[in-house]
Amino acid sequence: MNYNEFVKQVPRTMRGPLSENLIDIILEGDESLAIPPSLAKTILHYWQRDQLDSEAGLTNLLKATFEADPERTLKVIDTFDLKELRMALQPA
Amino acid sequence: MKSFGIEFVPMELFWKTTYYTMQAEKLGYDSVWITDHFNNRNVYVSLAFIANYTDRIKMGPGVTNPYLIHPVYTAQSVASLNEVAPGRVICGIGAGDRTTLEMLGRKMESPLRAMRESVELIRAQIAREKSGYEGRMFSTSAGARFNFKTKGEVPIYIGAQGPKMLGLAGEIGDGALINASHPRDIERAVSLIEAGANKAGRSMEDVDVAAYTSFSVADDRKSAKKSVVPVVAYIVAGSPPQILERHEIPVESADEIRKNLAERNWGEAFGAVNSDMIDAFSICGDPDQCVEQIDDLFRTGITHFITGSPLGPSKKKSINLFGNEVMPHFKES
Repeated sequence: MNYNEFVKQVPRTMRGPLSENLIDIILEGDESLAIPPSLAKTILHYWQRDQLDSEAGLTNLLKATFEADPERTLKVIDTFDLKELRMALQPA
Repeated sequence: MKSFGIEFVPMELFWKTTYYTMQAEKLGYDSVWITDHFNNRNVYVSLAFIANYTDRIKMGPGVTNPYLIHPVYTAQSVASLNEVAPGRVICGIGAGDRTTLEMLGRKMESPLRAMRESVELIRAQIAREKSGYEGRMFSTSAGARFNFKTKGEVPIYIGAQGPKMLGLAGEIGDGALINASHPRDIERAVSLIEAGANKAGRSMEDVDVAAYTSFSVADDRKSAKKSVVPVVAYIVAGSPPQILERHEIPVESADEIRKNLAERNWGEAFGAVNSDMIDAFSICGDPDQCVEQIDDLFRTGITHFITGSPLGPSKKKSINLFGNEVMPHFKES
């Protein structure tokens, strides 16, 4: 799945709050064991540079949250009313 | 100067502890302490990971102990870490807790002697002294040096609760980690540390005195309290009678909690924790209440305040609350 294309659809003003909500999913969830260590390190890389709300940061966060907890990720996307993103990410 | 630290028990994945430490660093915390227990993730792996993603925050074990980890290995670990994070490494060491030691068949023999020799040996080893070390509990032969060069010193903080250990911390420690949260206990500890420092011809300016507290902050006191109850239950259960009496907590209540914890009756054990116990053994509340309680601790003469477990109902939120609403009150004053 090309998350980067989806992230481009997220309005800039929403990117900060969205990244906060997504990081909560992986910090709070036990399912985060499903996140590969290399992806976790990439997230830390963007966090170190305060870029979790950048296109690249959000792309990696989405990858991680979908690995860890797809259901909660979709709920967060619903909260932000990102309909197109929701449709694109909706499991078949 | 007032410093602020944070403790993590590495029960979570390495990257999560690192994330929280980076968050703390961004908010201006000065130190991070990782606990050293055989049944959690390894302290030095955690610290090495943290070192790679941080630039300023000081870091170290909080605390290791000489009964399970030989002081030479502690010296090796902190000296190696000091290569990754030069000048940022600190080393907390204490006598450990009897229950954990007994689980591994070790006894806490001569804790004062063990601590004094450990501090001396760690320093000698980091300084790459050639002569070896001859103690009653630990010794190394001449030439038992590291094969790698070490740079700089690593400040050693002594974890202490009892009067003699607090005195020793004042006498030989670069810092003291007081395992308490109530101003009455901290005040008493500070005076014992000062007596130890005076005995050695040192001043209190030579010792960074830290209150290593059980801490919980949330938007409201109720949530903060709920989160701190399990930690307080264990503290009450493990406290000697004289400490319980100092806080007017019936010894029988502590016995009951201890019994229920041992039998894993969590509901009854945690349900028996009352407000007096929470006040005696934790800093807990909304940000304003925490400011008030921490202010009382700084008035006793401490120079460093450490937020220990549980931190609050949500680690991320509690770190933000502390960094944004509690710490600035002291950093800017």
